[in-house]
Amino acid sequence: MPMIGIVVVSHSPALAQAAVGLALEMVSGTAPRIEVAAGAGDDIIGTDAVRVAEAITTVAGDDGVLVFTDLGSAVLSAQMATELAGVDKVLLTDAPFVEGLTAAVVSAAQGRALHEVEREARGALAAKTAQLAPEGVADTGAAGGPAGRGAETEDATSQGATSHSVEGSGSPASPERPRPERTPEPTVDALRAEVPLTNPSGLHARPAGMMIGALAGLDARVWVRREGGRGEPVEVTGTTALLMVGARKGDTVEFRAAGADAALALERLTTLAADGFGESDDGPAAAGQVAAGPTTAGPTAAGQPSAGVGVSPGRAVAPIVRRGPGPAEPARRPMPADEREAECVRARSAFAGAADFYRSRAAGQSGQSAQILGVGALLAEDEGLIRAAEQRIREAGDNAEYAVWQAAGQIARQLADAGSLAAERATDLRDVRDRVIALLTHPADTAPGAGGPAATDARPDRYILVAADLAPADTAGLDPARCVGIVTAGGGPTSHTSILARSLGIPAVVAAPQALTYPEGTWLFIDGGTGRIVPDPDEDTRRGAAENATLAFDGTGHTSDGRRISLLANIGSAADAVLAAGHGAEGVGLFRTEFLFLGRTSEPTFEEQVASYRQALAEFPGRKVVIRTLDAGADKPLPFMAANPEDNPALGVRGFRTASARPEVLQGQLAAIAEAARTARADVQVMAPMVDTVEEAARFANAARKAGLPLAGIMIETPAAALTAPELFRVVDFVSLGTNDLTQYTMAADRLSGALASLNDPWQPAVLRLIQGVAAAGQAAGKPVGVCGEAASDPNLAVVLVGFGVTSLSMTPRALGPVAARLKAVPFARCVAAARAAAAAHDARSARDAAAAAAEA
Amino acid sequence: MRRFSAEVTSHKERLTELDSAIGDADHGTNMARGFQAVVGKLDESRPEAIDAAFKSVGMTLVSTVGGASGPLYGTFFLRFAQALGPTSLTDAAGLGAALRAGLGGVVARGKAVAEDKTMYDAMAPACDAFDAAVAEGAAAGAAASAAADAADRGRDATLPLVARKGRASYLGDRSAGHLDPGATSTALLFHALADALNA
Repeated sequence: MPMIGIVVVSHSPALAQAAVGLALEMVSGTAPRIEVAAGAGDDIIGTDAVRVAEAITTVAGDDGVLVFTDLGSAVLSAQMATELAGVDKVLLTDAPFVEGLTAAVVSAAQGRALHEVEREARGALAAKTAQLAPEGVADTGAAGGPAGRGAETEDATSQGATSHSVEGSGSPASPERPRPERTPEPTVDALRAEVPLTNPSGLHARPAGMMIGALAGLDARVWVRREGGRGEPVEVTGTTALLMVGARKGDTVEFRAAGADAALALERLTTLAADGFGESDDGPAAAGQVAAGPTTAGPTAAGQPSAGVGVSPGRAVAPIVRRGPGPAEPARRPMPADEREAECVRARSAFAGAADFYRSRAAGQSGQSAQILGVGALLAEDEGLIRAAEQRIREAGDNAEYAVWQAAGQIARQLADAGSLAAERATDLRDVRDRVIALLTHPADTAPGAGGPAATDARPDRYILVAADLAPADTAGLDPARCVGIVTAGGGPTSHTSILARSLGIPAVVAAPQALTYPEGTWLFIDGGTGRIVPDPDEDTRRGAAENATLAFDGTGHTSDGRRISLLANIGSAADAVLAAGHGAEGVGLFRTEFLFLGRTSEPTFEEQVASYRQALAEFPGRKVVIRTLDAGADKPLPFMAANPEDNPALGVRGFRTASARPEVLQGQLAAIAEAARTARADVQVMAPMVDTVEEAARFANAARKAGLPLAGIMIETPAAALTAPELFRVVDFVSLGTNDLTQYTMAADRLSGALASLNDPWQPAVLRLIQGVAAAGQAAGKPVGVCGEAASDPNLAVVLVGFGVTSLSMTPRALGPVAARLKAVPFARCVAAARAAAAAHDARSARDAAAAAAEA
Repeated sequence: MRRFSAEVTSHKERLTELDSAIGDADHGTNMARGFQAVVGKLDESRPEAIDAAFKSVGMTLVSTVGGASGPLYGTFFLRFAQALGPTSLTDAAGLGAALRAGLGGVVARGKAVAEDKTMYDAMAPACDAFDAAVAEGAAAGAAASAAADAADRGRDATLPLVARKGRASYLGDRSAGHLDPGATSTALLFHALADALNA
């Protein structure tokens, strides 16, 4: 990424370094090159133009250098230095030293161009100015006056258009946070675009955030107004301006834009809206309503039913389990000075454990739901949050639980003060806080893979969860085998809960506050398609649910003409193994072993590993269990395997690649698996994640055989591995396609990016053709080819995979029934036809259509 | 340069005192440090060409003075050197042109105008006086003496002024009633020049 360099000129090295340190706290990724040129020789307060020139030369690249100065001679020295350095594109800025530097570092880290960074830096005082402006004081434009918009005052539209309405009533500014509000009229020559909103949620927080993101860096001012709405256009200065428009699905929003990039700005906004802001439109048609409320859409049927908004289709009948309020504020326990450092370590590893939790949940998801969980992981890794907690421990002597609670509150207040997207982030933050505190209080309960707290409580076997609202991780932590339905009083079709419920396949109804009035244990019928809710349903209604209930798997996968396909389960723990066996899985196609390692500061012992593997293997006597060795790396950091931070962890040292640096971890794990296998009756096989080359595959297979494990395979997760499958089969006994990563790497589309969800689709013909090639190579070699990614749990895609010649499908246990049912309805020849048709399609949508048509033909 | 360095060093306390009234009390120290470094540099090596010598003076000042006078005097000497060119001798007219080039550099760097209460207020009249004397046929030494006197008058004229540039400008009206330290050191510079040429 192009990035400008920054030089900080000050009389005082201490001042400059502190300012740089403060600014760098804002950057989580790659920071721009920054040089400090401060002081004039040993301990002399002053500036030295030669030093400044050297600093400029040091950071200079193609993208230019921005120079900050404090006062007096710093400015003169910097000017002189630009002449001495003879470097192109050096800009001295009069931006405020601290605020400007902070804004510039952030902006530069995003790869903005020199003049854009400079503009941001100069505008950096605006927030402070607005905050400190006394109520009712208008923008005088005079020196020292509260110039509300700093650098943009040159715009002609601001002349005389200043709003003085703050003094009167009807000001949009809240009384607590007075600010000189200014909503200038769009310029006469502004470009105009009418943008219809088609996404389910209209202009709510996430789309608004995407729009602001799309406008970032453009030289354009944009105004917005709802068609038919009252009031003047509002300038888009942040997400709040967009949210205030109150536009919903079906509304048309009018944008006006002025400035050099006005046309581009409108084009981006129009494109975003036309794409529905990346929101899938598979929600039910009744999902137009966003806000919670008893009067939301949905027909009122017979009996005593009521309705909310159905957001995840499917019907369920089960007793209600209520989710109580979140944990209370933990008690403060003063820590003696000599225990504080240890307490900091405890807090930090709980944060790491929470991040692992979110990531392990995200790993099983894609698109939006992975993105949502990714936010949780990022928050749990936020150094600002962690340091705030550590500071409380060190300085105030708080215990970790109390410190985390307080630190989260502090950050939440800062977010709220910052205004944008505050509510949404506050919920996420609360969730992270509660999870970290839970890990501190009961480390075992929330261990990833154990199914979250729900797995250890006394809830009924099957239940419908009713809550005021659910945080993303509440939803993600649910076990779909037990939680068969979700009803919330709040939320909307695009709330995190709804998205996650859809991805977990749990029927869900939101915006149904009446559900809170039913006592715990009440039997409830819900229809996540129509939003219908019936307490104490009669027999007919219950049967209606049963017809739609998840199809059970009888334990033998085959096509309608009897061709056998092994239907296996993906598991991540011994508890999962029990569940998978209960669902009739024919074996395990993917046993993720990360759970043993996550959140650990030391490697699990040999005995510990053997015991865990043995427990899982015990569930599948005589059946195949494929154990995947540790899939760690910079994207799933393990405290005991301190990985160096990487700019691009998805392309970094992960999976089998970590075995080069820490071969003993792999050897230890293989030995433990071999020991567990020795006494187990399961057919144990091992495979390595993230293998690219024949050399790596051979290295792994040799290590496995040396450990006493004769059947060794690899996961095919990259185009490189897929394209060299014929050669790979010479050194391994089987392969398993990890379609989630294979899709990500083939399409070069981050799994966590909601905006790229349409690219991140295993139905993309490029992905299908790679799978086709691997399956063909397997057939030629006479060796098994499995699929253990999400693709295997899509019944229609399963037909295609079987048609390619894939021999086993491994999936989340709840998908076994639907996949088995689908395969049972299609003869093998039609699977082949569907596969050919899908691979020949030109895009994902037509691949789906062509496969469905060919399968039914 | 040696004379000026000695002048500055002997007036160090005075300059610092002036600066403590309206600035950050470092002008004397800064200047003495800078010009001692200049002398040290000239002791080390003595370039044949005068432009090289003064270029070295300018760069040394930039690096060692620390305050605003570093880049200002530094620029003065760099431009001065540039105008002289790679020669070992110059005449009165050449010297006058070089001084004016130096003044131009100071103006470009500091953006000062007359009566901002800066070194300009001493330097500009000094250059004018030098040029006027040369135009009347004076030799370089006599012209430099006239320049030094003009610089003194310019320096004294800064007494009632309210500073509009530099750190002193933060004091506003309170800067009136004090001589400007920069103008004072500039006057010393022209006295040193006159003494050197008339020696």
